[in-house]
Amino acid sequence: MNATTTSPLLEVRDLCVDYDVGGALAWRRRALRVVRGISFTIAPGETYGLVGESGSGKSTTGRAILRLADVSAGTITFAGSDIVGLGRTAPLSYRGAVQAVYQDPVGSLNPRHRVGQAVTDALARHGVTDRTERRRRAAAAFEQVGLGTEHLTRLPSELSGGQLQRVAIARALVLSPRLVVCDEAVSALDLSTQAQILDLLRDRQAETGVSYLFITHDLGVVRHIAHQVGVLRAGELVEQGTTSRVLDAPSHEYTKKLLAASLSPHPAGRESRRAARIAARGGVAA
Amino acid sequence: MRTALRQPTALFAVVVVTVVVVVAIAAPLIAPYAPEAKDFTAPLSGPTAAHPLGTDDLGGDLLSQLIHAARTALLVAVGSVVVAMLIGVPLGLVLGYRGGWYDRIGSRGLDIADALPGLMIGFVVIAILGQGMAVLILAIGLVFCMNFARLTRAITLTERNKGYVESARVSGLNAPRILFSQVLPNLAGPLVVQAAVFLGSAIKVEAALSFLGLGLGDEQPSWGGMLGFATQHTADHPEMALAPGIAICVTVLAFSLLGDTINDTLSGSRMRRTKILGRVLLDGDGARSGSADAALPPASAGTDDGPVGPDTGSVEDSAGEPVLAVRHADIVADRPDGGVVRLVHDASLTVRRGEILGLLGESGSGKSMLAKAILGLLPAGVRLAGGAITLNGTELTDRSPAQLAALRGTGMGVVFQNPQANLSPVHTVGRQLTDVVRAHDATISKEAARSRAADLLDLVGVDDPERRLDQYPYQFSGGMAQRVAIAVALVGEPDLLILDEATSALDVTTQAQVLDLVLDLRDRLGMAVVNITHDLGVAAETCDRVTVLLRGEVVETGDVHTVFDHPRHEYTARLIAAHPGVDDDAPGLGTHDQRKVEHA
Repeated sequence: MNATTTSPLLEVRDLCVDYDVGGALAWRRRALRVVRGISFTIAPGETYGLVGESGSGKSTTGRAILRLADVSAGTITFAGSDIVGLGRTAPLSYRGAVQAVYQDPVGSLNPRHRVGQAVTDALARHGVTDRTERRRRAAAAFEQVGLGTEHLTRLPSELSGGQLQRVAIARALVLSPRLVVCDEAVSALDLSTQAQILDLLRDRQAETGVSYLFITHDLGVVRHIAHQVGVLRAGELVEQGTTSRVLDAPSHEYTKKLLAASLSPHPAGRESRRAARIAARGGVAA
Repeated sequence: MRTALRQPTALFAVVVVTVVVVVAIAAPLIAPYAPEAKDFTAPLSGPTAAHPLGTDDLGGDLLSQLIHAARTALLVAVGSVVVAMLIGVPLGLVLGYRGGWYDRIGSRGLDIADALPGLMIGFVVIAILGQGMAVLILAIGLVFCMNFARLTRAITLTERNKGYVESARVSGLNAPRILFSQVLPNLAGPLVVQAAVFLGSAIKVEAALSFLGLGLGDEQPSWGGMLGFATQHTADHPEMALAPGIAICVTVLAFSLLGDTINDTLSGSRMRRTKILGRVLLDGDGARSGSADAALPPASAGTDDGPVGPDTGSVEDSAGEPVLAVRHADIVADRPDGGVVRLVHDASLTVRRGEILGLLGESGSGKSMLAKAILGLLPAGVRLAGGAITLNGTELTDRSPAQLAALRGTGMGVVFQNPQANLSPVHTVGRQLTDVVRAHDATISKEAARSRAADLLDLVGVDDPERRLDQYPYQFSGGMAQRVAIAVALVGEPDLLILDEATSALDVTTQAQVLDLVLDLRDRLGMAVVNITHDLGVAAETCDRVTVLLRGEVVETGDVHTVFDHPRHEYTARLIAAHPGVDDDAPGLGTHDQRKVEHA
């Protein structure tokens, strides 16, 4: 967590991502800039929380880092090497080093495959040729995320949301990645399950030193897991810094507004919070 | 599949297809003569004892030809569908997966191919390559391959955006691997259906080509060829056309129906199992184990006089008549085997005027079922098995659907989670609001209805209501659309407003605004509000009292401050501890380790 003394694992500089919008005809199309020149770094073993509301470009940033969205301008440097100039397909070594966990645990697993296959397929692609070795490592990965070997042969429809998210984490971690992009990874889960998954991610980080880019709209989740936080609005980073600094002493108006809108999990003082919200809107009740 | 076979059409399809397949395989055993055997003593005999269907002009037995022609028909049909799939499926996979220019050019190609009549393609292929079984299979395969490509492309386009494909890409799987091992298995169902239908169509096309003399040579018996032969002798032997004609019609029809049957079976079983029963049974298991758990306190917290305050069982004693009272409600789902699954067990709650009651629970806790029971909107197969629900002292449980519908308009309003789904996308917001206004007051003039609609929009904080009335729902942001949904719920000036996860899909800033609107409306209109949520923050911020549901049972009810400060039930305490709050300590490990102990 000593970001100042170690060189960053991931360095994003002036990143811009455009989406094509408009008709099917080439001359009607125009570029919509959804990420507008953002810069941040993630140190090894650190969690960077990227917060913002829907449409702020936070998921697109994650996709650009995963090489799933084309970068229009700016650089992304991973472990000292540029990954924007890699061309259309990312090399396998990068695929192994950067993994992802998504919001929808049901959708992120093939409904027709036994869940263990998600893990063994990834291993097979990354050069583990021996079938027994793949099984052994899949079983070990399942154990690390709190699942049993009996779960390996289940279909996704036979597992709960929390269990499926554990499978997704096992798939991401089995290749010993250095960075995992968690895109709203706990947002679809029930509260008690959410806490368990966050704890699991932190435990794995403490053990393996993996870094997380944690994309979420939930400031409570960020407070719980991130060391650094960036606040994204309309494709721009309006504020970033250590979690406690940004959430306890926000300097940007938008961060303050987000914090004021976040609901406290306790009713104490809610009248004054409501009054503050109304005042911030210029005295309009709603 | 067994249930599908109870349908007469499905049974017909399966029987006919089976008969055709058996006849085709066993043709040499069944047919009285070899197909090329000639009885030169009896050319064009007409039906006789030796030749039930008669003979052709050289004395060949028509029944034997008909039986052997089944072989030809199936061989050509299966062959051509295999060819069509071998060409079409990979093409569709690539177009759908690559997208962009590949897809744009490829799709135009498919459109062009579609514009060509199928038979024409067949003619051209046969004209170039000459007659023969292989050429015929190729020709018919080419006719159908575009349909397979189109179907595959469409499904691949939707599958491509699903999480598991993206996850496979992140794992480093290459495109062929993703297409054939990840996407293709999900295409199997639709492709099988399409293949069954095209088997029938291929038989039809084969018959047409053979009828025209372009299919197979005379030495190869085929239904189309027999039909062609019969037309030359319609004057003296009109009955000769009957047998091959019926064979073609019945077989083609049977394959089409088989496709429908497979389709129904696939979609039906999948929907039933995962969407309804799976969910219901899952909940039910929880509910049963919950009720069996003796450690749980009794469902109604009102039965003991703790410091919890006014409560469900003692409604009559507390100040003010409740707007809504649910007493000892049991909600069950009927199982196909005749048993029932308990979804909600012995649940009681009350809401008074001007009060916001939070109904707090995780997914599967039965909170939405309880809301649907109050609204009289329980899904088919789910019913209220016991207990009473009263609105302003009036019993709701023995109402007819029509009476309930009237009450839903005036007595209670509801707002669901997805605001866009609450509004019809094809009508303006004004039209939808005025429709509801006029449904409540048939005598109101159009202008008055419109001005009332504008007032309502103003009430829920939509700026410039006059202009917004003429806009469509898609022109509203999520928060604004939810305000409109609230306005619709308020038209009948209801005493009770039910919010079913109404702010869960909204961004935090928008959520806070909509919740403030609800608080403001409660203050101004004095409504009773039931706020159903899984979000502790929503409950803490807005509710006066909270009822906590766990696996279909009420585990705790009380004043919001009491419940959050001194949760009486272990589950509530765990929920509150699990909440990753904004006010927690920064990644301090205190709460973390504590939770780990609890989960262990």
